[in-house]
Amino acid sequence: MSSKKKADLKVIILGDYNVGKTSLICRYIEGKFKQQEPTIGAAFFLKQWGPYNVAVWDTAGDEKYVGLSRFYCRSAGAAILAYDITEPKTFESLWARFTPMLVDANEDCIRIVVATKSDLLQPGSREITIEEGKKLAREMNEHIDLSKAPFEPFFETSSRTGEGVKEVFDYIFQYCLPLSAEQKQRHQHEVVDLTDDSGVKRAQKSKCGC
Amino acid sequence: MSIKAFELVPAIERVKLMSDKAKTQIECIDVCGKNVYIGTNDCFVVHYSIEEVTSPSGRVSYKTEKQGHKYLTVKKPVIQIKSASALNRIMVLCDNTLTLLNMFDLEPVVTGAKVKSVSHFCINENPIRTNPFSVEICVALKKKTIQLYTVTEDRLMHLRDLSVPDPAVAVGIDGIHVCAALSTQYCMVNSETGQLTDLFPFDSEHQNAIVKRISKEEFLLSGPSALGMFVTSAGISQRPPMQWSDNLLSVGYVHPYILAMNDEFITVHSILDQQQKQAIPFQGGVALDDFDGRLFVASGREVYSLVPVPFEKQIQALLADKRVTEALELAKNANRTGMSRDKFLKMYRRIQQQAAFIQLAQKEFDEARELLRESEIDIRELISLYPHLLPSNCNFTRSVPALHEIADVNQLAKGDNSVIMDYKYFLRTYLEEIRGTKDAYGFKQEIDIALLKLYAETNSPELLTLVAVDTGCDLHDCVDWLEKYGRFHVLGILYKYHGEYDKALSVWTRLVDDGVKDEAFPGLPFIVEVLANLSDHDLVWKYIDWVLEKDEELGVKVLTERPANEPPSERLRPDAVIDYLHRFPKAVITYLEYLVFQRKLEKETYHTHLAVLYMDNVLQLMKKENVKKEELDMARSKLRHMLQLSNLYRVQLILGKAKETDMHAECAILYGKLEEHDKALRILVHKLKDYGAAENYCLVNSQGKEPSYRKRRDTLVTPAVALLNSSVAEFDTIKVLQLLPDNWSVGLLSQFLTRAVRSSMHSSRMTRIERMMSRVENLRSKETCIELQRDPVVMNEERLCAVCKRAFNDPTFVRYPNGVVTHVHCAKNKFICPVTGRLFSSGHS
Repeated sequence: MSSKKKADLKVIILGDYNVGKTSLICRYIEGKFKQQEPTIGAAFFLKQWGPYNVAVWDTAGDEKYVGLSRFYCRSAGAAILAYDITEPKTFESLWARFTPMLVDANEDCIRIVVATKSDLLQPGSREITIEEGKKLAREMNEHIDLSKAPFEPFFETSSRTGEGVKEVFDYIFQYCLPLSAEQKQRHQHEVVDLTDDSGVKRAQKSKCGC
Repeated sequence: MSIKAFELVPAIERVKLMSDKAKTQIECIDVCGKNVYIGTNDCFVVHYSIEEVTSPSGRVSYKTEKQGHKYLTVKKPVIQIKSASALNRIMVLCDNTLTLLNMFDLEPVVTGAKVKSVSHFCINENPIRTNPFSVEICVALKKKTIQLYTVTEDRLMHLRDLSVPDPAVAVGIDGIHVCAALSTQYCMVNSETGQLTDLFPFDSEHQNAIVKRISKEEFLLSGPSALGMFVTSAGISQRPPMQWSDNLLSVGYVHPYILAMNDEFITVHSILDQQQKQAIPFQGGVALDDFDGRLFVASGREVYSLVPVPFEKQIQALLADKRVTEALELAKNANRTGMSRDKFLKMYRRIQQQAAFIQLAQKEFDEARELLRESEIDIRELISLYPHLLPSNCNFTRSVPALHEIADVNQLAKGDNSVIMDYKYFLRTYLEEIRGTKDAYGFKQEIDIALLKLYAETNSPELLTLVAVDTGCDLHDCVDWLEKYGRFHVLGILYKYHGEYDKALSVWTRLVDDGVKDEAFPGLPFIVEVLANLSDHDLVWKYIDWVLEKDEELGVKVLTERPANEPPSERLRPDAVIDYLHRFPKAVITYLEYLVFQRKLEKETYHTHLAVLYMDNVLQLMKKENVKKEELDMARSKLRHMLQLSNLYRVQLILGKAKETDMHAECAILYGKLEEHDKALRILVHKLKDYGAAENYCLVNSQGKEPSYRKRRDTLVTPAVALLNSSVAEFDTIKVLQLLPDNWSVGLLSQFLTRAVRSSMHSSRMTRIERMMSRVENLRSKETCIELQRDPVVMNEERLCAVCKRAFNDPTFVRYPNGVVTHVHCAKNKFICPVTGRLFSSGHS
């Protein structure tokens, strides 16, 4: 009964309906992009991070589950606040609707602002700049000391292409459950990371081109 | 989705319950051991006895009998009944009042203990106090208070009050944690600290509040949007929610299933994956609960039991639907049903095996492999799927009942060859994986034979290693198989492994003779190696002829490369061998070399024989026309080496032969052997004029033989001295002096020394004269040079080239010794003056 094991870290993802929260998690856990049904209530994923178990809770964005989402935020060590990069409204509601939900989360809960659907961004049509995103990320995390993090907790991702997805979770895990390089190495040996490999190949190809 | 996890079995039927009162409806039930208590809407508590009867076919039915009833006189429905068997009491909630009744005669307790204005109550199944004769209950009052009581036979002892912001409509308790449904939200209250944790909002007007304790520190609540929410006593959730249907009335839990009832259906969810597994249509249900692991459900007029379908049956049904993951998940949890560990493991393995074959049939090879491995399957089950791969003498029959319905892989692949290859590859990798592990214990033969057959089919290089070392392959049907696929070399090795050398060798000889192709076969050298290591000497004899005829030099290795620790045998006695080898001149030489140089046998005949053979070889070469010099030299040096090294051959015999031809070097050695050093040296010095060799001879023959060989040495010294003193030879004096022993007297060598001094003197004087003459020449050259360079050459604009009569434009020019000045390019020859034609010699004039 895997879900019964006490997780070492609880990560929760919040955000408006249809911004792509489940897709983001699914991309990270399963490594692929597929059509998702609207989440009912909440969903749960377990991820190994070195010796640790990390519980990733996916919440329903629909307004009617607001009460539940707040409940599921309890004792979260990290929260992903996701917005649709093509829908400025979803960015605004992060502050308005979702930050209040995090009152029950751990005091030192880190909040990561994540823009989704970056593949749908047309050049010139950007409405939320990277600076705005970073600013929000800084404001959200005023309660904690961000100096041990490498940079502001802000990411732009695409679940369709996989861009930035792994980075989000690595950032969170490394911040909350720091692993030494050796631990990471050992951990990575256990997992055959196909996506990583293809990335390397692509890089090599581009090198050949020039 | 559909598993049949539960079956609805009637327990108390309508007739018995209703008696004459037509309007009576069941409101609540409680089951405790063999007692069933029913609370009705018209204020009756009815007591039945119940007995479970299992028919031989495994069907469960119930025998019930009414024991009595009690009218509570308030004309209100009975809301809740909970029995406390340790106290012989039942707790009844009716008209907002909680009272205690005797469990058997249903009479109220004499003390009349009661709690008023109660909306709901529950028993603490995980109480902090462990007095077995008391029960802890939690009571929700109509006001904003929750109370805790300890119940004894006739008393309700108030423990404490917990205040809540709203009246509670439903409560649950576990240990010190009270989970309460208030009118607008759920909350968790710590009964010791009174600390209240909000959980989540819900709307008590539109849905029933349900608080169900499902395990230690975990509750199941009915949340908004018909979600079943899991909450721990810490106020967080560790499982995702379940989607229920609307208008839920009550919930029961028997691991691993959650049963939820509304007015039309009972739905069954698995707590493992939160998915719905079964839906049982059930109209007009009013109450459902689990009582010590038994589930009972009541409609308005009847009581039914929900009998769990045995795990095995559920799992088999899942497997039949090829829902492997679910089946395994369910099976893993079956050990919670009180099965002994051994029994469970046995069952679980069997299910894994069944699952493995299902995965295999679906070509999910990785999963299948994992399952096969984990379930420690009898490997023959797997091999038997592949036609002809089991040893033909193996009397294996598949286990009964069958683990699968697969006839063989051909059926699975539907004749598609590439799929069959996939299957075979799977088997191969699997067998390789388990080979040598404990899973393979006892089945080495089956595994190795199957592997051999697979390898043979694909002509895989592993075949060789499989057969060569510690193989389980017997000869029985591997032979046919290997022949069928033309793996003759491996067949030979297999024979060899089983000690059937004769058969092995006949296979190999056939490979060589008939030109049968087998790429794995390394050729003749391999056979030679085998023969060389073969301890059965009769067999060696049988094949040696064949080998030698194929290749003498190679073949003789059979005899020369015997294992070092082989005991001598009559069959391989050197004499016999030499006699036999007569026909093969090269072989006999090699063999004798082996005897003489390697085995160091000190037997005259061998040595003489070898020497003679060498000699013959040399003679033959000499006779032949246009033989390469190197070849002859090689042959002679071999001979000389032999003559020099060995002392055992018959010198006279060889000497006779050597003298016939002009083999002086050999003669010298032979004379040396005969101690006739004079002769030897004479040959060396006079015939061969090889003084180095003579010196060497002296050294070799005198080496390390003092003082016992003193005499002999002296005889050597004499010719040496004679040689030195003779005027014929020219020596490098210095070298000779270095070589001469310190103790030789000058008188002995006076002649040599005088001559040496004289010639040295002579050469010294000659050199001096040469030197002085050279100096004179040098002086003269210098004079000429100075002469030539003394006059300046004036160059001005009027000066013209003596050849072309043009002016000089470059700073370079040529001047001949007679004063003619020309352009560089006009001076065609620097030794001839272009004007006068005078010749200047290059050297001194």
